[in-house]
Amino acid sequence: MRKLPDSLVRLLIVIAGLASVVLCIRFLVLPRSLTDMELHKQSAVERELEKPIQFAGSGICQECHEDEPATLAAGYHSTLSCETCHGPAQAHIDDFEYKPKAPRQRDFCPVCHMYDPSRPTGFPQINPIAHNPLLPCIECHDPHDPVPPETPRSCEACHAEIARMKAVSHHVQLECKVCHEATNEHMLHPRAEKPTKPANREFCGSCHAEDSDTVATPHIDLKTHGGRYLCWQCHYPHFPEAS
Amino acid sequence: MNLDAISASENILRETTGFVFPNEIDVLWSIMIVVYPYLTGLVAGAFILASLVKIFKVRELQPTYRLSLLTALAFILIAPLPLVLHLGHPERSYEIFLTPQLGSAMAMFGFVYAWYLMVVLLLEIWFEYRRDMVIWARETKFPLSWIYRILSLFSNDLSQEGLNFDKRATRLITIIGIPSAFLLHGYVGFIFGSVKANPWWSSVLMPIVFLFSAIVSGIALVLILYMVLAPMRGEEINMKCLDRVAAFLFYAVIVDFSLEALDFIHRLYESEESIHILSELIVNKLFLSLVVIQILLGMIVPLAMLAGIRIFRANAELRKLIYFVSAILIQLGIFSVRWNVVIGGQMFSKSFRGLTTYKMEMLGLEGLLLALVLLALPLVILAVLLRFFPPTGSPAKDLSAST
Ligand code: HEC
Ligand code: HEC
Ligand code: HEC
Ligand code: HEC
Ligand code: HEC
Ligand code: HEC
Ligand code: HEC
Ligand code: HEC
Repeated sequence: MRKLPDSLVRLLIVIAGLASVVLCIRFLVLPRSLTDMELHKQSAVERELEKPIQFAGSGICQECHEDEPATLAAGYHSTLSCETCHGPAQAHIDDFEYKPKAPRQRDFCPVCHMYDPSRPTGFPQINPIAHNPLLPCIECHDPHDPVPPETPRSCEACHAEIARMKAVSHHVQLECKVCHEATNEHMLHPRAEKPTKPANREFCGSCHAEDSDTVATPHIDLKTHGGRYLCWQCHYPHFPEAS
Repeated sequence: MNLDAISASENILRETTGFVFPNEIDVLWSIMIVVYPYLTGLVAGAFILASLVKIFKVRELQPTYRLSLLTALAFILIAPLPLVLHLGHPERSYEIFLTPQLGSAMAMFGFVYAWYLMVVLLLEIWFEYRRDMVIWARETKFPLSWIYRILSLFSNDLSQEGLNFDKRATRLITIIGIPSAFLLHGYVGFIFGSVKANPWWSSVLMPIVFLFSAIVSGIALVLILYMVLAPMRGEEINMKCLDRVAAFLFYAVIVDFSLEALDFIHRLYESEESIHILSELIVNKLFLSLVVIQILLGMIVPLAMLAGIRIFRANAELRKLIYFVSAILIQLGIFSVRWNVVIGGQMFSKSFRGLTTYKMEMLGLEGLLLALVLLALPLVILAVLLRFFPPTGSPAKDLSAST
């Protein structure tokens, strides 16, 4: 066999040295908790458990506070946890001297209630600049039972996205009530009582069919236009487009 | 609840338009993740240029061979730093190697990187410089001579056989090196291209586009460095070599340009449902960095200039000027390629109905200042490397001995 070149021998020694260092660290130095997945997960759990507890949870408050949890559970904010507004409160449980913060400022509530098109349909939203400016929200709304002092005046209160869309559409002149029969009850308990929705093609046809007597309304042949599909499978009723 | 955090997030909310999911409001992959593929791209590109000499026997490029290798080394040493800064736990980074997670494409970077640095670059440079280091160890004085001695692993073999073996070894490593360089940067492209939820990234062409833009940027960088360093060392710029580098740069830009155009046309023709938000992204958010800097300044203008001097046979001075200006424009262009991919890909919502804004930090761990430092650091390292490993080699030898 030919002799290996001198340079290669030297390199091989270095490489062997490096490799054995890595292998040593891997198999001798590293704690098992780093290399064994089972142990690793377990030690991660232990590490997390050692962290100080910040949140007390929603159940414990009612052991000492009676009124607020009861009011909260009965009202619109029933899905909210106390600590969502009052902040982490474990320190308060350990020692009453530590008072949880109460968010009394006006800029707190808009975090959830400012108009944002991505909020679910029906979610009450306001424009914080226009809605009774300058006064703190809790002046008029009890944070634990936030009934509006009077029934919302318009559907826009909770269907802001639809209302804003309709306002720039061809249907801007049509009131919501033209197409939806909504009772006052829906304004107070929206999920308990839902308004009606148009159900058939003839409904739209009442204004748009060729034989209807509306003026300044584009007419179509109700029999053929759009086949047998419902009108709103092609036209969004709150923002109808003709193309 | 932290009211500061709330009002901060409210401020960002005002910067968004349309529907943006809550976890998309903040652009999490910051400018650090822009710098990272840019740096690795330079590494891969510089190496490919070096390999042209060794494998494809392009002799004219010999004056840039060692410079390219050292450039690649200087940049690869810094390349993982932006990642480490972004992840924020440098003390844990070694765990990647000790507890390998083979299922994670992101974790594989550690191995791709280690392979490229240790098996390709360092070895090739070692074999290339071994002869010089042995001579330097003999000729220099105490601390320096020992540094060379240690670096050459105390080798003392200047026999013809030994030198021949060095040459063969460099060639072999370069042969392994080319696919490795492709792997290194193709890998970075793969990381983006394989994110199937993101239509701006998800494309099989991504690794290839990344690779060619890497080659473009690497060649342009070596060209700039060569033009700056040669006069500093009091050397004449070798026009034959420069013309050749510029020619390769020109071809690489053409290929890169065609690939990107192909990608663009493909997207336009497919017209998937994402096309509307992507066109809005380009028109509203990326107009400057994509249309003006990347395409116009970074590609069309340099292409026109490089083509111009080929047609009109400009004299040497004008050629130098034009090469230099186009190489700098190309660097700028490739940096915006990275920017547009990384930042652009996070500026539109997966709802395809909203855009958000990237607010760059200035001084923080992921801020502009640190990014600039990271971009400058490889040049400092390169200066040190060039000081101790001058590409001209040991005085006692003539240039042809190293090929
Ligand atoms: C062990 C009994 C106890 C529990 C459990 C408890 N609290 Fe209290 N909390 C008190 C007492 C007592 C006070 C009244 C202190 C005072 O008036 O000086 C108080 C006061 C408060 C106040 C008013 C602070 C102020 O500025 O006046 C808030 C808000 C509050 N608690 C929230 C909570 C929340 C939220 C929880 C559940 C995470 C909770 N508490 C659980 C005993 C308790
Ligand atoms: C929507 C946010 C919100 C939620 C949810 C909420 N609170 Fe409050 N809470 C407030 C605000 C705002 C105040 C301050 C009211 C004021 O100053 O009139 C307050 C005041 C209090 C006070 C002090 C009352 C006083 O007279 O000083 C207590 C006690 C309290 N909350 C307990 C609770 C408990 C217990 C829960 C959970 C069952 C809860 N809160 C849930 C917003 C909230
Ligand atoms: C964490 C989010 C959150 C915060 C913070 C919050 N709310 Fe609410 N709010 C809700 C939810 C959820 C509802 C119930 C919506 C529903 O019934 O669909 C609601 C309902 C309401 C309603 C009832 C509107 C109606 O007519 O149906 C009012 C008024 C209201 N909140 C006021 C406030 C005020 C004032 C504050 C600040 C003290 C506040 N909210 C803070 C989530 C929040
Ligand atoms: C001056 C008293 C007053 C103040 C201050 C006030 N509101 Fe109201 N809020 C009302 C009244 C009255 C209504 C119901 C009538 C209406 O629709 O405007 C209402 C309705 C609401 C509704 C139901 C949607 C709606 O438009 O009907 C929400 C949500 C609401 N308010 C949140 C807030 C928030 C958040 C703040 C603080 C930024 C706030 N309010 C401040 C009086 C007030
Ligand atoms: C207090 C808030 C509120 C107000 C004010 C309100 N709605 Fe609603 N609305 C809701 C909620 C909540 C839902 C249920 C959304 C869901 O379950 O997806 C809803 C659902 C509806 C639906 C759909 C029902 C269905 O079966 O899908 C219609 C239509 C509707 N509202 C029309 C109106 C009209 C018209 C008005 C004005 C006259 C109005 N709403 C005012 C909260 C409101
Ligand atoms: C031209 C008739 C028309 C008008 C005007 C109209 N709607 Fe509707 N709306 C419809 C039809 C039709 C549907 C059923 C669509 C479906 O089932 O897909 C509907 C569905 C809805 C729904 C439930 C589906 C959804 O998109 O959330 C809500 C809520 C609603 N409308 C609210 C309103 C409100 C609020 C207004 C007034 C601002 C309004 N609508 C005005 C025709 C109308
Ligand atoms: C009360 C009468 C009325 C009803 C009911 C009605 N529309 Fe309309 N619609 C109008 C009027 C008026 C216009 C024209 C407004 C304008 O452009 O001046 C119109 C315009 C339109 C347009 C044309 C938009 C364009 O681009 O020119 C479409 C499409 C349309 N409506 C669809 C519907 C559908 C679908 C329904 C059933 C959900 C419906 N409409 C119910 C009155 C009505
Ligand atoms: C299969 C999809 C489809 C359906 C279902 C459909 N439309 Fe249309 N509609 C269209 C298209 C496409 C246009 C625009 C091209 C045209 O004028 O035919 C249009 C146009 C219109 C126009 C505007 C006509 C004009 O002259 O400007 C009205 C009004 C209209 N539709 C009402 C309705 C009504 C009412 C219904 C239900 C009875 C309905 N459409 C169902 C697809 C549809």
